[in-house]
Amino acid sequence: MNIVVLAKQVPDAEALIEITSEGRELLIEQKFAMNFFDEFALEEALRIKERHGGRVSVITMGTGKATEALRTAIAMGADAAFLLDDEAFLQGDGYSTALALSRAVSKEACDIILCGRQAVDDDRGEVGPMVAQFLGLPHVGAVLKLDIADGLAVAESAIEGATEVIEVDLPAVFTAQKGLNEPRVPMITGVMKAMKAQIPRLTPADLGLEPAQVGERGAKVTIGRYIAPSRKPPVRLIAGEPAEAAREAIRILTDVERVL
Amino acid sequence: MDFALTEEQEFFKKTITDTVDRMIVPKAREIDEKDEFPWELWREFSSLGYLGLRYPEEIGGMNADPVTAMIFYEQIARGSVGFAQSVIMNILMGTYFVFRFGSDAMKERCLYPAMKGEKVGTMCFTEDQSGSDLSATRTTVRKEGNEWVINGTKMWITNGPVADMATVLATTDLALGAKGLNFFLVEKGTPGFSAGQVLDKLGCRGTVTGELVFDNVRVPEENLLGKELNRGVEYLGEILDEVRVMTGAMALGIAQAAFDEGLEYARKRVAFGKPIGTYQLIRAKFADMATEMEASRLMIYYAAWRIREKLSSRKEAAMAKMYATETCCKVVDEVTRIWGANGFAHEYNPQRHFRDARFLLYGGGTHEIIRDLLGRMIIGKV
Repeated sequence: MNIVVLAKQVPDAEALIEITSEGRELLIEQKFAMNFFDEFALEEALRIKERHGGRVSVITMGTGKATEALRTAIAMGADAAFLLDDEAFLQGDGYSTALALSRAVSKEACDIILCGRQAVDDDRGEVGPMVAQFLGLPHVGAVLKLDIADGLAVAESAIEGATEVIEVDLPAVFTAQKGLNEPRVPMITGVMKAMKAQIPRLTPADLGLEPAQVGERGAKVTIGRYIAPSRKPPVRLIAGEPAEAAREAIRILTDVERVL
Repeated sequence: MDFALTEEQEFFKKTITDTVDRMIVPKAREIDEKDEFPWELWREFSSLGYLGLRYPEEIGGMNADPVTAMIFYEQIARGSVGFAQSVIMNILMGTYFVFRFGSDAMKERCLYPAMKGEKVGTMCFTEDQSGSDLSATRTTVRKEGNEWVINGTKMWITNGPVADMATVLATTDLALGAKGLNFFLVEKGTPGFSAGQVLDKLGCRGTVTGELVFDNVRVPEENLLGKELNRGVEYLGEILDEVRVMTGAMALGIAQAAFDEGLEYARKRVAFGKPIGTYQLIRAKFADMATEMEASRLMIYYAAWRIREKLSSRKEAAMAKMYATETCCKVVDEVTRIWGANGFAHEYNPQRHFRDARFLLYGGGTHEIIRDLLGRMIIGKV
């Protein structure tokens, strides 16, 4: 069973992010972590390997610092890791990223492709389904349970008011939702292996792509500008008897904030 | 001159930081409150293999260089110093002499299980009347046939009440002072070896610390951990600097934990309509704390680097231990001030860091002794 995991290095949840150059650029503190949802994808890949045998490869697009996410993957038990690292890959959108990743995936035959349901930095959730599209494979999104047997996958995902059970032939692309599993803490033997691992770098040429097809030049979407989210107002206490205060809270949520 | 950690060390730092955040930080408060050896966490953490950190890969260790080891000590103490002390005792002092001088059978029985957390190790120097002054050790050892007979009582023994094996300091002749000292391995179950009083400590709770009693304890000849008799102090010198820098690294870990709590609070807590982090007196505290912690970290890495390069490190190790620990005591104090009255509440963490910091003033040598040593080294014979 050959399994490929697509993982992204994203700013750490605690990293400070500032909008600069009048909304044209983001200044991000240099603290990174593997995308939260990709950790579930990686853990699931490792569990499938443990049950069915095979090999787990992890692919990341990013600059040199992204090797950290790949080393973490090796420490957890991945067999191989590749970094798509070239200036031309920078400032891409979901489309140009998915194109490059799909080419990297297709370098070797594989049965299962896993990634997080979305990256927690831009929250778009495009790359998984687009990779499936580029490869002409089925895609199951936001998976909460995944069983593999005899070239067939049975995946469960939560939909409004129900759990959807989907059967799909392999190979296929699955995106992981929180709750799929509990990612493991790496053992020291894995950490040592990861510390010594050589991580091959791939360029657009290695993927049979022109620089104009990837990154910013290959993107279909251009970012206009960044706007800071409105600051959360301080906590507001509603005085009065509980029943009265609850009525007032509902009035605020329906009429003022319009969230109900 | 190169101040950068290697890519490998950076990765190790990130991994152990994440592991500590996930596994230890959420349990730190409970460890402190219960003040019992945290067996469940011990088993869970030791299954990852970190207890073999310093030992060669051939025997299942990681062969970590001293700088990497310091990164580990700092991070684990940042999570919970109560837990860190137990772990580090197994990694360093509690197993070193068995690794260095133990027979193959002894290593099979004691060292390898200790590297997996299946056995808990300890080292016993301190007695009720001696600690930094090793020459005042009153635990005695005498040879009877093919056996050593040990008599005495040890105090302030980290992991003592739960230890499966102890490296015990004893003298062959009270009149010889430091020149009569030796280390011996004593295993749990040896007749006459028992745990006494368990100490109720101000901080570092969760590490069980107590008294160990040796009442005519008989061990075989091979349990002398050393090539020759009466050279114990010399052998101790092989890890003394590492132990001191490690103590500094633990202090830095506590300081970092407190600093992070202070930073979060200063950014969120509003007074007079503004976060307190916008006031100059609070900013000044962070400037000073961050500067002194940075200096401590550089001193720790520098001393560790000298140990790795096999350069003389007695002075640098003592300085790093003392400076980092004094910095830690300052930082935990400042953070409780930044937290105001909340810093005094058991409900929050700053008081725990405040209590924990104190212990490192004594472990690895009191600062009165260290200052005296440094002064003597610097001024020389006059």
